[in-house]
Amino acid sequence: MTKLFKLKLIALAVSSTLITACGDAETNIVEKDPIAVVDDEHESDDEHDDGYTISSFGRLAVLAGDSNEASFFDLDDNALLDTFVLNDDSNTLSASPDFRYAVIANRTQDYLGFIDGGMWREDHGAHLHDYEQSPVFSSYELTSGSRPTHLITHDGQLAIFYDGDADSGASASVEVLTDNDITNATATLTGINYDINMHGVAEPRGEHLLSTIRRDDASSTSNAKVLPDQVGVYHLHDGNYELEQTLEVTCPDLHGAAQNHDYVVFGCGDGVLIAHQQGDVYNAKKVVNINAVGAQRIGTLYGHKNNDTIFGIAAGHDGSDSVLLSIHPENAEMEEVEWQLADGASAVSYSFSASGEHFLVLDSLGFLNVLTGHDHDGEMHWELAGQVDITQADVTTMPEGMSFSMTVAQNGQFAYIADPIAQHILQVHLEDLEVEGELELTFPPAAITWLGIAQEEHAHEH
Amino acid sequence: MKKKSQLALLIAALFPASVLAKTIQGTVVNTQGSAIRNAVIELEGSDIKVTTDKNGHFVIAKLNNGLKELHIVAPGYAHLHRDITIDTDETRSVSFTLQRSPIEVIDIEATPIHMSAMESASPVSVLSGEQLRRDQAATLGDTLEKLPGVNTNFHGKVASTPIIRGLSGPRVLITQNGLDVSDVSRVGPDHSVASEASTAQQIEVLRGPATLFYGSGAIGGVVNIVDNRVPTDSTTRGEWNVEHNSVDNQKVASFNATTGTDSFAFYADAFWREANDYEVPVAADIDSDGESHSGDYTVENSNEESDGFTVGASYLMDNGFIGLAVEQFNRQYGIPGHSHGDESEHSDEESVFADLEQTKVQLLGEYNLNNKWLNKVNLRAGHTDYEHAEIEGGAVGTTFKNETNELRIDLLHNQFSEWNGGFSFHYKNSDVEAQGEEAFTPPSETESFAVALIEERHFGDFLVQLGGRIERVELNASNVLLPSIDAHAHNEIDIHDDHNHEEETNFTRVFDAEHEFTPVSLSAGVVWDFTPNYNLGLSVSRSERAPSASELLSFGPHIGTATYEVGALFDLDEDGHLGLSEQTIDLETANNIDLTFRKTQGDIGFIFNAFYNQVDNYYYQINTGLYAESGHNHDEDEHNHDDEDEHSEELPVYLFKTDDVILHGFEAQIAWQLTDEFKLDLFSDYVRARLKDGGDLPRTPPLRFGTEFSYQTEKFSAHIHVTRYQDQDRTAPEETATDGYTLIDASVSYDLSILNQDLSLYLKGTNLTDTEARVHSSFLKEIAPRPGRSFALGIRGYF
Repeated sequence: MTKLFKLKLIALAVSSTLITACGDAETNIVEKDPIAVVDDEHESDDEHDDGYTISSFGRLAVLAGDSNEASFFDLDDNALLDTFVLNDDSNTLSASPDFRYAVIANRTQDYLGFIDGGMWREDHGAHLHDYEQSPVFSSYELTSGSRPTHLITHDGQLAIFYDGDADSGASASVEVLTDNDITNATATLTGINYDINMHGVAEPRGEHLLSTIRRDDASSTSNAKVLPDQVGVYHLHDGNYELEQTLEVTCPDLHGAAQNHDYVVFGCGDGVLIAHQQGDVYNAKKVVNINAVGAQRIGTLYGHKNNDTIFGIAAGHDGSDSVLLSIHPENAEMEEVEWQLADGASAVSYSFSASGEHFLVLDSLGFLNVLTGHDHDGEMHWELAGQVDITQADVTTMPEGMSFSMTVAQNGQFAYIADPIAQHILQVHLEDLEVEGELELTFPPAAITWLGIAQEEHAHEH
Repeated sequence: MKKKSQLALLIAALFPASVLAKTIQGTVVNTQGSAIRNAVIELEGSDIKVTTDKNGHFVIAKLNNGLKELHIVAPGYAHLHRDITIDTDETRSVSFTLQRSPIEVIDIEATPIHMSAMESASPVSVLSGEQLRRDQAATLGDTLEKLPGVNTNFHGKVASTPIIRGLSGPRVLITQNGLDVSDVSRVGPDHSVASEASTAQQIEVLRGPATLFYGSGAIGGVVNIVDNRVPTDSTTRGEWNVEHNSVDNQKVASFNATTGTDSFAFYADAFWREANDYEVPVAADIDSDGESHSGDYTVENSNEESDGFTVGASYLMDNGFIGLAVEQFNRQYGIPGHSHGDESEHSDEESVFADLEQTKVQLLGEYNLNNKWLNKVNLRAGHTDYEHAEIEGGAVGTTFKNETNELRIDLLHNQFSEWNGGFSFHYKNSDVEAQGEEAFTPPSETESFAVALIEERHFGDFLVQLGGRIERVELNASNVLLPSIDAHAHNEIDIHDDHNHEEETNFTRVFDAEHEFTPVSLSAGVVWDFTPNYNLGLSVSRSERAPSASELLSFGPHIGTATYEVGALFDLDEDGHLGLSEQTIDLETANNIDLTFRKTQGDIGFIFNAFYNQVDNYYYQINTGLYAESGHNHDEDEHNHDDEDEHSEELPVYLFKTDDVILHGFEAQIAWQLTDEFKLDLFSDYVRARLKDGGDLPRTPPLRFGTEFSYQTEKFSAHIHVTRYQDQDRTAPEETATDGYTLIDASVSYDLSILNQDLSLYLKGTNLTDTEARVHSSFLKEIAPRPGRSFALGIRGYF
């Protein structure tokens, strides 16, 4: 012990001689705005509430038509959460695959940006954990691809098709991302790099990616050579998509694509190309245009993973005289839908409802047309369930270059319709076919998209 | 000396003949007068280094007049230090006699001045060569635990960090070639160190404060893992190894190789390891009630899979080298005990595993200048990108990231009135974040800049080593969260039914915290060769440490330690609510004294160290007695909120506080070369870690002693290693005592030469008595004992 005592003395001596050289510590704390956390027991009378999930209508991202601003609203109390100034004008707005982020795309600026809507769900294994935070502009952006044009989401994935640019010699490419990639700012996304430009489209399907192929002009069956005429099946191996199969059926002047659980359909000049997934292999078939298509071609397609029907829209280049067709891939059939737009009306937006039970057509006259499918002897026929008149105003007073727009909530049977004339957004119940709410704006809305926590399937049973 | 050796010719050829320079030539022999080959003669304060030929001859040419300090090193022999003054003679002839040293003396590379176990004022140890290969384990702490003064915090074999003299975590810095390894192993015991021993060349341990060289994070010591990733020469050589281990069916393969041309050198290494859950002699859980059990006991979820590779290249110049290396390191490992509630019927409970990935880029260089002031510049720069995800039931629970950039420049001056040394500049920037349910520490950025001066000089029989360092550490976190948690005591009856469910919304307070620290470290040491073959070392230091982000800013459940951690920025108010602390955040200060007594050569060698370390303002966690929700619920099937709820989803709240702490203890090492073949080693170490005002710190390793008996011939070697860990009953309030145990390991190896390759076949047995060994310094001591008896069979090749 005496040794210890001596050591102690020396330690003391050392510390006292060196004390003048003592270092310095400074702390500066500034309190910021607090974050509201919804309490565990917050108005949830679900039988299966484990305290981590949030019950909420979700949020809306709204692009202004008269400025380059994006505003975010809380749909529970219609409060404006935040407004963000975007870099450029003429952006398009869509939702990320899991509806957490607003995706701002600007084709001419080769830009994709992401704004975190602030609501998301994490699967913590034993329970689902919901988060509700303020919207925030993500620092993540995609700027390396040329001319991002078609953005297609399916089952948690977003495929961005970059057309490339013949003038600058930029080739087409595809990038596939998930909400996690945005959250983690994934530096290098998986995708495809072509060696030629094209106006193409890519459909993500888990580890498969069906994407268009433009052949050299001599081999291509397309009239407009910038449109591809083949479809490749790419398979993800070790982080790279590899071309495993080129569908043997060609699709001249390919434009537009959609998919459901088993099929992917592409619009061709002469009909639609149907690709049927069987394991890792896809079988291709062509369904030729029926007479109703007339001189037009099917260039836009809509699908929903829970619905067997794929809708095709045949229209001229300006969208006039469009014909709505239902395509039944399993029977390789195409059929003109009984209901068609009224004279003088043109469609401004199409969408399936969240459950896939309804197909919505918003027209330029201010009507939301809700179609539902009915099974007749094993064949699905689509009929008009009803119309919702969403405006009393004279639609000719629509501001120049604007139109009504629509988005579908993924957590219930609601659609939201933005009206640039009245400068408001209406909440429409798709079963009751009634306007149930209104969100006043101080600017004309150019585009809207719903963000929030999507409800799992079969949540809404009647 | 009439006959010039080939080596001398070679060296002479390197220098222009026109330079009129002085030459030292000579022989190195042992006490029997036989020549020692491959002895290295270094000229201190320069980069000149020559090796003796098979006759023990060497030549150092191109010298100018003056005092030359030579350092002679040969494996198995004590280092020799000689001053030679060159004046008029064209050529000085000398003869050096090296004494045997049963304790291997290897210079460390972690410091700009010359340090080794036998010669420096402060204690160091080195694990290299055969001994490193014998001791190497999947994790760093387990690899180093046989070194005196070093213990492991054994985390079920899947993770471990070294504990140096009772200190670990944010106090022990782990570096790779002198640059921070930059993982998150300092934040939680279940986080693995992103470095691999099987491809390392040597691992160096600086015991006691090493802030002088490495700054704040090294107040308890440094572990430096050295490899040849940036090769300093292009001699073609390499090593490969494959091994199988029985206790966990572990398979390991590794190699490293260096080659090149006159001006370029290339390096590559790679390793791969796969291991299953390991077997233990008894039921893993200490509380298991002896229920019948079929088959072997294992520690569940202790499997591991890792691989990695490094490639490097350097440009070799006459006066130095510069090179770049890139490493990719991947590791996937189960986290045993990372679950809640010990319902044993939940045997299919989903396991939690960590998926770790790191990319490390290092740029290393050295240049010898012919400058009036400077003779050498050392450059080390690194960039690391680390990420690990904790995956639970297939979904990512928490992601930890660390991105670090670092730069060190050492400027070593020419001898200046016999002082050797130089300045060291050090910059480091770390961006650390955690996302997910276990994100108990908010994202933060730490930036530090430091200047250090280190000098040493021989005064006759005395070697004096002095150093000082001043550092600037900025720690910024813009979103420090203070959630309003319902922390409550469990003894208050019925409080559980009294949660205020009416309030719909809680508020999380958010702070922008900026800290600026200026830690200063000073150290002085002296080694006195008071009589031939013996020396006495004394080292005193005062080191300051800036607290780490997790110690200050944490607020949340930390599953790895099963606690709810609250940083020192927060405190409990009178009502028992957690709010901002009123206390000022201050530096931790260690005043350390080290005494060393050594016998450096002869058939018996020894090193005795005693240390006394008083740490003021020591950051540590106290149990508040409160509990908070873990936010981590495992039993979703049972939602009957009856009152039998055993708070299994709740964690005890631990708060970081500061107090004055005293650590003291010793390390002893004795080696006795009985004959040319037989050697006996004895070692012991002990640390007592206590609060100045009474009480003990948790997880302090117990007293240890052990012995190793070795037999070594040219072709054959055998080792028996016995270590006794005593009981540890000096425990912190919430801690339980741990029983002592004795581990017996043995190994044999046989060397043979096939196809111009040296091969070594070996068989290694560990824990031969299959004893139950629970590691007191482990967070998992109650559920993960050490592995049971195991046999490893392997083959190693050298070319």
